[in-house]
Amino acid sequence: VKTTVREERLLVISDVHMGNRLLQTRRPFREFVQYALDHDYSICLNGDGIDLAQMSLSRLMSDLTPSLGLFPQFGQKGATIYYTVGNHDIALEHFLTDVGQMKVVPFLNVLSGDRRIRVEHGHMYDAMFLKFPRLYFAFMMIGRFAILVGPKAYDMMHRINLAIIGTTEWILARFGAGKTEDAGEAGDALAGERECFRKGAENIGVRGFDAVLFGHTHLPGSREFEHNVKYYNTGAWFSTPYCVAIDHGRIWFGSLPELLAQDPFALPKPEPRTTIATAKLEERFSGPWATTTPAAPARLARHSRW
Amino acid sequence: MKSVAHHEILNVEDGEIVFREGEDTTEMFVLREGQIEIVKNVAGHEVRLALLGRGSFFGEMSLLEGLPRSATARAVGPSSLLVLRPGSLLLQIRRDPTFAFELLQQMSRRIRELNDKLVFKVATAEFGNRLARSAFMMTAAGEFASSDRKAESAAT
Repeated sequence: VKTTVREERLLVISDVHMGNRLLQTRRPFREFVQYALDHDYSICLNGDGIDLAQMSLSRLMSDLTPSLGLFPQFGQKGATIYYTVGNHDIALEHFLTDVGQMKVVPFLNVLSGDRRIRVEHGHMYDAMFLKFPRLYFAFMMIGRFAILVGPKAYDMMHRINLAIIGTTEWILARFGAGKTEDAGEAGDALAGERECFRKGAENIGVRGFDAVLFGHTHLPGSREFEHNVKYYNTGAWFSTPYCVAIDHGRIWFGSLPELLAQDPFALPKPEPRTTIATAKLEERFSGPWATTTPAAPARLARHSRW
Repeated sequence: MKSVAHHEILNVEDGEIVFREGEDTTEMFVLREGQIEIVKNVAGHEVRLALLGRGSFFGEMSLLEGLPRSATARAVGPSSLLVLRPGSLLLQIRRDPTFAFELLQQMSRRIRELNDKLVFKVATAEFGNRLARSAFMMTAAGEFASSDRKAESAAT
């Protein structure tokens, strides 16, 4: 599994959840892929791109089919599609290989310009996922049925889930049971995001990364953590999708509508293409004699003999 | 050496030695910034084994096996290192599981590079033997032919 790649231009999104009934942003995904193609970007779907845990097969087909035709064009352009595995598509860990134009990886270390950037879904730092995997899975399955009832039922269940996690962590902290050896200062994580993700990002960043990109929490935002590590979370596609654009080590973070409106790292427009024949003609008839020099007619006459 | 948010960071200047060959220390290091060269003393001469860049690990052999350092690590330019002791290695793996994956990746790459070098050495030695054997055979054949010609000329 090749996890370190050099990509000078890369777009990163996360949590598209294709196949999930709650996904309302089907058309923008195709627009996003087309945009990446038009602007010479590789793309990285940072986990939960396909929602294997809560999907409907017919929805998955309708979500994925419009974009599938564009994927081979990345290969023609020398660009790549990276797919980092998340918790809703964790079964893809069995396919950590190249699937057509797509490279399936557990995480990605991107070298761009002189920067090292870690792109990872982030579920491996979710204390709930790590400590209570069965409970986490049970909640995911309950969520699957809640989706069938309706978006509001799912939303309510999600809030109950968060409340249970928050209360459990609070109670454990009161008794000192939840405290770990790496418990740090709270307060500088993204709003609504639990501390475990900040610590995860710091533990990665301290190993020589300039930026860490997560998804998973569905909470878009950016922060600067210890060791000058920039942290970005690209949120989810259930609401406004967010995106990170990387260009030769420069990083831009914003919503997808902002990105689609204007490329933050617009490439210079290519010069008009000339054919080999016209280029040769220009080369032959350019030079001082071709314009106003007195010797030009004689030299042109000499050329005409050939 | 300073500790930032439960991480032990070591900043070294250009040319500063991180550890020496034969030393009995057991930390391993992750290169956060700068470059580190790994050198080994071979018959009184210093041989550079590797030049490491950002994100590389080194010193893990002494940490994992508890043996003295097999080479010297020296900073090339100002560098910043994350220091991991035996206890903090396990903690780092618990905190950041991908660290273990990357450590294995790097060690696998080193084994492959060593294999390549070994194959090259063996092939070169084998090629050298064959070349010598061929040269010997050719010389022998040449001598045989010339002795035949001599015999023929003597007969005529």
